[in-house]
Amino acid sequence: MAVALAVAPTRMELLKLKQRLGLAQKGYDLLKEKMDALVIEFFEVLRRIQEARAKALEQLSVAHRALSMCFAIVGTLETKQASREAKRELQVEISTRHIMGVAVPAVEVGDVERNVLIRGYGLHMTSSVLDEASKEFERALKLLIELAELEESAFAVAREFEKTKRRVNALDYILIPRLKETIKFIMMRLDEMERENFSRLKRIKAILEEHD
Amino acid sequence: MSADRIIKLELSRLNLHLPERRLSLKEALSSPRPQVAARDGSMHVFKREELKFLAGLLPEADRDKLQLPILIAMEPKLGRGTARISGEVEVKVVSRVLEKEGAAGELLIYRPEVAILRRKLPTTTQYLFMW
Amino acid sequence: MSYKIAVVGDQDTVTGFALAGATYSHIHTAREETLAKLNEFFASGEIGLVLITHRIAEELGFDFRQMLRTKRLPPLVLRIPDKTGYMPKVDELREIIKRTVGAEIMIKKEGG
Repeated sequence: MAVALAVAPTRMELLKLKQRLGLAQKGYDLLKEKMDALVIEFFEVLRRIQEARAKALEQLSVAHRALSMCFAIVGTLETKQASREAKRELQVEISTRHIMGVAVPAVEVGDVERNVLIRGYGLHMTSSVLDEASKEFERALKLLIELAELEESAFAVAREFEKTKRRVNALDYILIPRLKETIKFIMMRLDEMERENFSRLKRIKAILEEHD
Repeated sequence: MSADRIIKLELSRLNLHLPERRLSLKEALSSPRPQVAARDGSMHVFKREELKFLAGLLPEADRDKLQLPILIAMEPKLGRGTARISGEVEVKVVSRVLEKEGAAGELLIYRPEVAILRRKLPTTTQYLFMW
Repeated sequence: MSYKIAVVGDQDTVTGFALAGATYSHIHTAREETLAKLNEFFASGEIGLVLITHRIAEELGFDFRQMLRTKRLPPLVLRIPDKTGYMPKVDELREIIKRTVGAEIMIKKEGG
């Protein structure tokens, strides 16, 4: 049961409360529309995540298989050595874009010129198996970068959705019932007071008539 | 009352992602970096593939009439699950994208159609919350 | 802005991604050490993406989840399977769907 607000039972107050109720209901309706839009956006990101995940995870296993082959053929120690000496550096460009007002990251693989293209493994190493493993892991990395962007975006949209839902619930379960309850109470009191007034006037009239 | 202030704040935030001024399709196509400044200060970039797709759906003459982003109006009055597209050229192009009929200048679309529209035109459409 | 990539994993994962172009790496052995390294990565300002295996993320538990909740972007953090393909039973995204939007789907199905 909603608890009525403590306000003086006057017509002024009643008017103010009705305005507040109007605002609260408008807020509720619009925030519900916002929630609907966020759901549509969220599911679209989710759909893209499913695609991106499948591709990335498949490529990652391919990469690990290539690496195992590399360990077997070139040698575990040598491969690890090569990875430590690898002069390759992949960078990412991160900027912000917005989905319906929600800030989400936009991640691109950095300019090719900035990346060191020469796979230097050290003077004594050249191996196509090693090259293969590097290439497969690089492919995996690019797909994972895409996936990371999508997952972060999904989390961001979900957070905004939860925040909006909390507001909607506060309006629906707390503020609006409270306002309605208070309005009801004031209208009752105003009615009462009017009836009391009316019967008092009747009695006064009766007394005056008696004296005439 | 602080609750009222919060409501007013949320309402004012609803459309901050929209631009002050829209760009016509023609202007966007001829720009090296087609974008608009959103009211919250961020820059909203239009993807060229979407612009080309839209251009393909319209005769040359309509290209400077189509205002971008196309607004998908969510209005409680329409009932939940219903949105509206306004503007003669906007309606024409959205009707073609969704393959449905639109009466002159105004088109009502439903939630699954909104999803399709957003999927096909993620940067050239935006939600507008109205009351 | 340009950022570098870091990877936290087992020997194989780290070797593979180092070959691919990850700039920083950490092979996980002890929990406290790895958490400290992650803090370093998050605070550095030059790292845009941190890859970490699901297995390790699970082992790090609550502390790691806390770090994810409180950190700012960058860096993005992505959990990946290791060479065994291990993925946790609980998919965080699925949980979010159930928790926040699940009710909405129910309403959608009933109310249309």
